[in-house]
Amino acid sequence: MRILIAEDEIVLCEQIKRVLTSEGHAVDVVHDGEEAAFLGSTEPYDMIVLDIGLPKKDGISVLKEWRSQANDTHVLILTARDGWSDRVDGLDAGADDYMTKPFHMPELSARVRAILRRKSGVTNPVFAKGSIEFDTRTGRVLDGGFLVDLTSQEVAVLSYLVHNLGRLVSRTELSEHIYEYDRDRDSNTIAVFVTRLRKKLGSNFIKTVRGRGYMIDED
Amino acid sequence: MRSLRHRAIVGGLVWAALSIAIGGVALFYFFDGITQRRFDALLLDRHLQVVVALSNSGVDEDAMNNMLTDAAYQRPYSGRYWQVSGADDAFLASRSLFDAFLDEQGTPDTRPQFWTGAGPEGRVRGVRQTVGLEDGSSWVVSVAESLATLDAERQQIRQSLLATFAFIGVLGIAGAVLQTSTVVRPLTKLREDVSHRWDSEESLEPKDYPEEVAPLVSDINTLLHRNREIVARGRRQAADLAHAVKTPSAIMRNELDALSMKQINVVQAMQALDRVDAQLMRSLARVRAGNSAASTHTQTNLSNSVDRMARLFRSMPATSFIELQSSVTPDLNVPMDAQDLEEVLGNLLENAFKWALTKVKISCSVSGSDIHVTIEDDGPGIPEIDRREALRSGGRLDVSTPGTGLGLAIAADLLQSYGGSLNLEQSNDLGGLQVLIVVPSKRGLGQDVDAGED
Repeated sequence: MRILIAEDEIVLCEQIKRVLTSEGHAVDVVHDGEEAAFLGSTEPYDMIVLDIGLPKKDGISVLKEWRSQANDTHVLILTARDGWSDRVDGLDAGADDYMTKPFHMPELSARVRAILRRKSGVTNPVFAKGSIEFDTRTGRVLDGGFLVDLTSQEVAVLSYLVHNLGRLVSRTELSEHIYEYDRDRDSNTIAVFVTRLRKKLGSNFIKTVRGRGYMIDED
Repeated sequence: MRSLRHRAIVGGLVWAALSIAIGGVALFYFFDGITQRRFDALLLDRHLQVVVALSNSGVDEDAMNNMLTDAAYQRPYSGRYWQVSGADDAFLASRSLFDAFLDEQGTPDTRPQFWTGAGPEGRVRGVRQTVGLEDGSSWVVSVAESLATLDAERQQIRQSLLATFAFIGVLGIAGAVLQTSTVVRPLTKLREDVSHRWDSEESLEPKDYPEEVAPLVSDINTLLHRNREIVARGRRQAADLAHAVKTPSAIMRNELDALSMKQINVVQAMQALDRVDAQLMRSLARVRAGNSAASTHTQTNLSNSVDRMARLFRSMPATSFIELQSSVTPDLNVPMDAQDLEEVLGNLLENAFKWALTKVKISCSVSGSDIHVTIEDDGPGIPEIDRREALRSGGRLDVSTPGTGLGLAIAADLLQSYGGSLNLEQSNDLGGLQVLIVVPSKRGLGQDVDAGED
């Protein structure tokens, strides 16, 4: 899943990015409100972690701008403002969740996962199909109880397909959601990742519709 | 200090009473003098009639009685008498004197002498004069009239004056009240306008007020502006401080978490950081309480703030399954700034949602001059012995982590800055904790938070 972190404190930004990347997400970071507004409007993020106290343009204004553009990307506000009025104002501006600093990183990543699951309608953090179990919390995959070794890109592809169960996902869409902003997006490599996943998880696990994309069935 | 209205009314009443009393006494003496002079003039006229009758009758009592035809002279003890006495005990008198005589004191004179003394029936006032007739005889002629007539006339004047002044007094009181209300109305309007303008962040218009109040309005505008600045600056500084300290704290916490994942013992460092965070949270809350808008007379609709909080807690996955029952009167306003009221409600509702099993209830009532807001839950509650500790300023920082009662203390600090209070009880209805917020519906100026010292 592709996530944008808008936070002006660079060290904190990198810490969050490190954790979310380790969970298989493609993470972009910006450090001011104008950049956040631009990327949030132009890139297809699955969710955005947004600080309110951003330079150049504050987070609430950025969020209102997105919502006015009918951009319904899920947003988690992460801020030092812990006033209750601020929280309501944040949610009223269109945020999906609100966290105050200082925070525990495990709680942040849990809330990020919860938002991503809510977005895709997946209630259980562990996805199971046949003998395969995929834990969206850790990115670990078990086949009949045995750990399957996956690369981070393979986990990212699998995670996006699991979060879009029963929906046909094109190569372009997949590349937009597993690569970061500044990475070279070669949609042909997606086919390589899917082939490898099929080899590791079984040939029927991911369904291919030639020329259109890939899908994991809901049943 | 007594109110202007009270002072003006009491002052007006005292002044009116004094004016009426002095005026009444002066008028009474004025009319009393007129009555007295008229009475004496009548006596002199009657005296002259008797002298003329004496002269024309040839000193004959019967002839005189026939000449002086006034019926009051004929009826015994009627209160109107004449009497003539001469040398050799010669004595003539009106029939009204019957068997009595006028007991005159002093030596008679050729000039009219007024006197007051005892009559046949009650006191009388009379005039006497020594007159000489053509035959060379000398006679003392007296005429007297009962004072009852004069007293009755005086009484009538007194009653008329009293009724007139009572009516004037009532008019005066009504006028004083009306005038005071008219004079004080701009001040009442000013007070209401100050409260409304705080919310809308507008300035007052001096031209909307009488010229005597207009300079005060300009001064209040300056104060309002300054007050807004102080509150806003205080909040901004608290927010800046929070941002400046909480972000590095979050970074350190994450680094410690990362070290912990590598099996490095960071328990003590993490506990120290917890204490720093808790102290910071409490200190920021105190800064906020110290910068509360308590002196601004702003009003916030309770129902609106409760709705906002309810929306927030319903949207949180951790609390969305707990039912929030709200029976808050829609038009009840609390004399608190909206942010401060929501800070109190948010902290208390968070605490209630945290411990509730299935239900949280919020209700309100007005008791005398206080507004009561009650938040109850069906959780385990707080034992009576621990309730004081839960509210004690800073008392829990060394023994607990953030969130275990800090919210109650923060809410209590904020309420205190508004002259309000927070009481912990057991909910009779739900069985858990019941937090009773008491906020005075009318606040005095100058109430401030006692932040205390650790």
